[in-house]
Amino acid sequence: MIQQAEGFAQAAEKLANMQSLEDILHTASSFEQTARDFYQSMIPRVSKRIRWLVEELAEEEQRHYDLLQSLINREDLKQQVKSKIQTPESDGRFTDGLHMPVMPEKPDDQEIMLYALGREQAAMEQYRALAKNTESGDIHELFAFLANEETQHKAELEKLYYEIVHSGGV
Amino acid sequence: MKKSRDIHYDDSGSVLNPLKSLAFFARKPVTEPLEPRPAAERYRGFHLNDWEKCVGCSTCQKVCDNAAITMVKVPSVKDDPVKGIRNLRPAIDYGRCCWCALCVDLCPTGSLSLSREYVHTCYDEQLDSYFILPDPNGMHQAGFAQGWNKTDENDLVDHQRQPMAEKTPQLRQDNFDEIVDGFTPQQALLEASRCVQCGMCHDACPTHMHAPEYIRAIWQGDVEEAVKQIYRTNPFAHTCGRVCTHRCETACSLGHRGQPIAIRWLKRYAVDALGDERVREIVSQDKVASSSGRKVAIIGAGPAGLTAAFDLAKMGHQVTVYEGLSQPGGMPRYGIPYYRLPADRLDADIDVIQSMGVEIVCNTWIGKDITLEQLHQDNDAVLLSLGLQLGRSTRIPGAGHKHVHKAVSLLRKIAHGEDFDVPKAAVIIGGGNVAMDIARSLARLQRRQFGQVDVTVTAMESFEHFLADPEEVKEAQEEGVVILQSRGPRECVMQDDKLTGLRSWGVLSIFDDKGRFAPHFDEDDETVHVCEMVVEAIGQMTDVELLGEALTEQLEWQRGRLQVDDHCRTAVDWLWAAGDMVKGPDVVHAVADGHLVANSMQAYFETLPKLVSRGD
Repeated sequence: MIQQAEGFAQAAEKLANMQSLEDILHTASSFEQTARDFYQSMIPRVSKRIRWLVEELAEEEQRHYDLLQSLINREDLKQQVKSKIQTPESDGRFTDGLHMPVMPEKPDDQEIMLYALGREQAAMEQYRALAKNTESGDIHELFAFLANEETQHKAELEKLYYEIVHSGGV
Repeated sequence: MKKSRDIHYDDSGSVLNPLKSLAFFARKPVTEPLEPRPAAERYRGFHLNDWEKCVGCSTCQKVCDNAAITMVKVPSVKDDPVKGIRNLRPAIDYGRCCWCALCVDLCPTGSLSLSREYVHTCYDEQLDSYFILPDPNGMHQAGFAQGWNKTDENDLVDHQRQPMAEKTPQLRQDNFDEIVDGFTPQQALLEASRCVQCGMCHDACPTHMHAPEYIRAIWQGDVEEAVKQIYRTNPFAHTCGRVCTHRCETACSLGHRGQPIAIRWLKRYAVDALGDERVREIVSQDKVASSSGRKVAIIGAGPAGLTAAFDLAKMGHQVTVYEGLSQPGGMPRYGIPYYRLPADRLDADIDVIQSMGVEIVCNTWIGKDITLEQLHQDNDAVLLSLGLQLGRSTRIPGAGHKHVHKAVSLLRKIAHGEDFDVPKAAVIIGGGNVAMDIARSLARLQRRQFGQVDVTVTAMESFEHFLADPEEVKEAQEEGVVILQSRGPRECVMQDDKLTGLRSWGVLSIFDDKGRFAPHFDEDDETVHVCEMVVEAIGQMTDVELLGEALTEQLEWQRGRLQVDDHCRTAVDWLWAAGDMVKGPDVVHAVADGHLVANSMQAYFETLPKLVSRGD
């Protein structure tokens, strides 16, 4: 009985963690949208000297947002977006990203980049975990693709970070 | 005995003499074939030139006494003056060439040789075919073997530079005395005599110093002429004679098969040999006698600002340089330790600049003591030459601890002679020359205070990709500094708010496949470097707060740096910017920028209404 109760509990927990692909894509889309809006709101706040950085970040998030929207609206995925997927434990970090970060009134370039790197890391981990939780097929391919997108963007940001911060001195 | 007959001066010979030629009708004719006979192994035939080795230095053209060689531009070959490569190749005029082979014997790269081919005929209309652009296959592409070529016996290039005397580690490790002794007159003459006068150094130098000219003057024993040539393009002669990044030497054509000319040390020799007073007299000869009435304010008394000031003062303009710190000199004074650049040599450079009439106002911060707007109102033009005075932080956990310092700040303290707690053990983060400077400075202070050294440098780069100059790394190690390659900082380790060390991870790779800096770490390769102080020497930036928000908006920026045009002009017509803050850290680039600014301001003044007198 105890084992059965534990089994029910595990099943219930698992069900509670199930989301449709549509929900996941919408959440991810909101994640990118929030980031885009956040960076755009920073454009007039930051010094013109580092405005290029938040402008580029906003553009990149817009690109991710557009990508997710196009996936949601794709005809060949319409049937699959209703399917339920086990959401991974790292989901907490992903949804945390929907909240506005604490940033100084006048952030410098390094603070902005560190924040952006944190977001990319969270997104990358989330998509990787989702890919791991899905069987081979279109949906698995989709998450693998999104994880790769975020990985590449994070790698680019890291390079930019090192180029700006670790210039090596004279 | 047959008696010889005197030849009479007006003896015209027999009228039958022409008939003697009839005797040849009976002989078999002799015709030499056009196919040449084999030439000797060291024969001096037509030229061969290996274009892969040739860098277009034009030494062959210069050494040719018959002016038989002309350098021809070949657009399809590489042209990279910074690396000492020109897209020129020698063409030979065989109407002039005497096959002396001096061009071969003096060729710095060994690309030229002479073949064993020696026959060329043509019709009148093909006379141009005696002017050829040699390649490795020879004049007629016949693949004749090399005849006279470069060997140890005939090589006229001296590949070994004169040794530079330096203090041994034992003599230098507990003091800030200058390490390098400098050339003796005899050494300078011998070193100068190695130069082939190709001018690759001139092309590569950011300020295009007339190095061939001053090297020749040193070789001729005329240091006054050498100093004149140096000051044509560089008022930081002592400074660059000691700490220049010497791109000239990287481009030196002798460096392809041996050691490049010690151009930096020769510059140092010339200005040291002449004496400061005489240098000032020589330099003052170029100053115009009359005042233009134009006023210029320069913010920052580093190499860019003071070079611009020097040029502008020579042109007759009234120049005031504002410096926030207590002494002028910028990063050369506050960022370069005295063992590399003694303060009195920097002072000598600045004395020359001031002797031209430049006023330097120290301890004055623009934006605090005087507004930028005020400077704008009081002057016809303003130059920002702020340098890269702020150190970057890794911002790893614990980086805000009071015993975590930035290298530039600590070097400034040491230059000022300020007291601070010298740590018994220090760890430096970074692998550039600044990291070496602070490591070696702390090592000296430790040895003085504790009798031993415990300084560790942790650099993300491997030794093969190190940013610091190899001699800096070598000398630091000789002085007891431990240098660890491929270590990435992770956190400053604390115990009860006391800094106890730096945790680092091993670096697996440092660059991506496109050569961009993208380190990857090995989390399993973790080390804690025990220390009382961590110094970050990873990069620098400019403090541009003095601009204020309104002007910052007016200006254009390029990925964080103030954007300037090719003449160092900003988007605001009265404001220029130059030096490290726009071009990155390098003294000689800053000097080059200073010249650009002065010329650009002069051109700008010529567009303004002519002054009768200021204040009217």
